[in-house]
Amino acid sequence: MSEPVSRAQAPAESESDLKRTLPTVLMAWLIPGAGHFMLGRRGLAIVFLLIIACSLGVGLLLDGNLYGIVPNRPLTVLATLACMGMGAPYFVLRFLLDYQGDIVAPGYEYGTAFILTAGLMNLLLILDTMDILSGKKS
Amino acid sequence: MSHFLLMMLYATLVSLFFALLWRRAARARLRLFLQLFLGMMLGGILLAWLMYPFPSGPPTPIP
Repeated sequence: MSEPVSRAQAPAESESDLKRTLPTVLMAWLIPGAGHFMLGRRGLAIVFLLIIACSLGVGLLLDGNLYGIVPNRPLTVLATLACMGMGAPYFVLRFLLDYQGDIVAPGYEYGTAFILTAGLMNLLLILDTMDILSGKKS
Repeated sequence: MSHFLLMMLYATLVSLFFALLWRRAARARLRLFLQLFLGMMLGGILLAWLMYPFPSGPPTPIP
């Protein structure tokens, strides 16, 4: 029979859980696959990194759109969040390399789909990392 | 790059990603990969075929 958790013990445990999970989740966001790598699933992490890098690379080759928020266009907020899901590459491309895509490029729409997919896939990887850390997934 | 090749590349990447994320056993992964890949490819071709009577102009070539 489990003992009831005291009020003082519960916040302390959740605080230590947060300290343990936050760096992993943050790394999972910044570098695609890093969360799984830190959890010991190294082979899988490298494959995930390659898949996301390939999707992003094709998107960039096709001059797809790397979304930023456009005033009075609320859907661009969602698209920007999806793109930001890829972590550090988003900020490097947007702010260091000043990449925005080329709207008149023939592969623009396809490229945008590939770039958005790269961001969304990394968001799913972050959720998967959180599930593994919380014990919901083995 | 052709539209078809890009569709195939996209379907491969997404199917591989979900097969590795959602399944642990190799056989189950292969099964899910094939289901997703074929679903996307055949679904895309079916959708293209259904849209065929409604042309919007000449297709733009992708270099």
